[in-house]
Amino acid sequence: MSVGTEVEKFIVEEIALGTGIDSVDHDEDLLAQDVIDSLGIVELVKFLESQYGISVSDDDLLPENFQSVNSVVAFVEARRG
Amino acid sequence: MLMQLLYEQAEANPGQTALVYRDERISYAELVDRIERIAAGLAQRGIGPGDAVGLALRDDPWFVTCFHAIAALGARIVPVNPAFKQPELEFCFRAAGVRAVISDERTAGVCERIVAGFDRPAEVINASAAHDQSPTLDGLMESGTPERLPARQPEEIFVYQYSSGSTGRPKLVPRTHGQCAAEAALYAELGMTTEDTILSAVPLFHTYGMGACIFGGAVSGATVVILEDPHPFLLRRHRALELLEAEQVTVFPGVPFNFRLMAEAPAGGDLSSLRLCFSAGTALPRPSFEAFGERFGILVRQLYGSTETGIISANMSDDPVATFESVGAPLGAVEVEIVDDEGESMPVGELGEVTVKSPAATNGYAEMDEPNRQAFRDGWYFTGDLGRLDDDGMLHLAGRKKLLIEIGGYKVDPIEVQDVVEAHPSVEEAIVVGVPGKVEGEEAIKAVAVPNEDCEERELIAFCRERLANFKVPQVVEFRDEIPKSPLGKILRKYLV
Repeated sequence: MSVGTEVEKFIVEEIALGTGIDSVDHDEDLLAQDVIDSLGIVELVKFLESQYGISVSDDDLLPENFQSVNSVVAFVEARRG
Repeated sequence: MLMQLLYEQAEANPGQTALVYRDERISYAELVDRIERIAAGLAQRGIGPGDAVGLALRDDPWFVTCFHAIAALGARIVPVNPAFKQPELEFCFRAAGVRAVISDERTAGVCERIVAGFDRPAEVINASAAHDQSPTLDGLMESGTPERLPARQPEEIFVYQYSSGSTGRPKLVPRTHGQCAAEAALYAELGMTTEDTILSAVPLFHTYGMGACIFGGAVSGATVVILEDPHPFLLRRHRALELLEAEQVTVFPGVPFNFRLMAEAPAGGDLSSLRLCFSAGTALPRPSFEAFGERFGILVRQLYGSTETGIISANMSDDPVATFESVGAPLGAVEVEIVDDEGESMPVGELGEVTVKSPAATNGYAEMDEPNRQAFRDGWYFTGDLGRLDDDGMLHLAGRKKLLIEIGGYKVDPIEVQDVVEAHPSVEEAIVVGVPGKVEGEEAIKAVAVPNEDCEERELIAFCRERLANFKVPQVVEFRDEIPKSPLGKILRKYLV
């Protein structure tokens, strides 16, 4: 499974649980659509750190890193080098 | 009456910036012109005195413009949380009897579905032109001819808001033009002037944001800088810090969550222009007060208010460190009295229920006899908060008498959540309680459910998420064979926390 698919799966099954969202377009603006709140960001960060072995610092908590699934993928890949 | 304040500001300082939003800067003269055009456009669509108009917009200049335009027409503003789910929005719009709803691209679809089910005509007006053939605010601006709007009568209804309060459904709180003008005058007591710049980071649909930014801005002639898309604040704190510094913000009304996250932010932050920081919504934890003070050199003062009364008090003490726990002395003509369970006045220093008499307070909930009998007595509003007054007349809060859960500055009625949990076919009985959250001073929502068949926590949370705004959804579900009760049938909540 690609990083994008795994991130999408986590968002749909954990963060957006119960919202009726069963898929997320990888370009979809997660923040404008209120898919993720502050607690959701914390959950997603924990998932990224455990799943991909990366470290996410406070400096990384910026909208551009979490705007869409593609943004998250780009962030993870940049961190993994 | 608020509109007359804006006219005064526009006449005295027409070029003074009223609103800043992204790259847009709107002067008081431009704001007044926009309000007059929108009011004229709404009037052309048949909106007039006494009509309720829903406002389901994010915080932006449209919100402020429509807010004033609706009120100046003599219509009633019904500001709602745009994050509400369809059943919640529908309840708010039906209870207020809205004739129209102003929405943006995020809320347009759900608002159209709701009004389509009404048995009397109501229309959706969109901020964005992208959504079907509905009228738009741009269209109203173009068609409306600006004309000076007359002053309204003090007894006319200005706004309908909703208050949580242990009844299972939010209560409709009407406040008049006179009451809202009185609240604006109370904000004037905080000493804001045209020299001030206020950062708007708390929602404008909420009494606190409305009071501090819309009323506070109008009465002082200050500039209001609107933080665009403040949620999730964890990702927006950099932007908030950037705006505070770049716009030389002097007044920042926030909630404890804002101050904690900003104090923990890794970079940015010359906030030397800030002279007043207010925290409200829930008690400010000492670690957040200290961390923000140490990081930015500004001490956060606690402010107290409610949907029913507007602002009540603010800590304007000369020694904000020694008095940090106090929400201050009542402002202006506001009176606070501490009473016992029989409603009798208690001596200074004694703990009891906080009651308030204020020219800004509502006369009572709309069409709710029993809650009115309980909460409004002889001109006093019984807040349900526990507190005491000290020798200097400063108020210290000490929790709640009413069973409300405080989540990120919002008050959640556990019975509203409980009703949703119990509506699940696998749940026989449920109780919802507040439990300590992951962060000091914050609560989380826990549902304790007695299932009548197999049921999973995940399924129950999903069920709630479809029906409740995210901040009301339980984070934890515990299944039990029975709810602990006393021999008299009283629920023993202490065994559920």
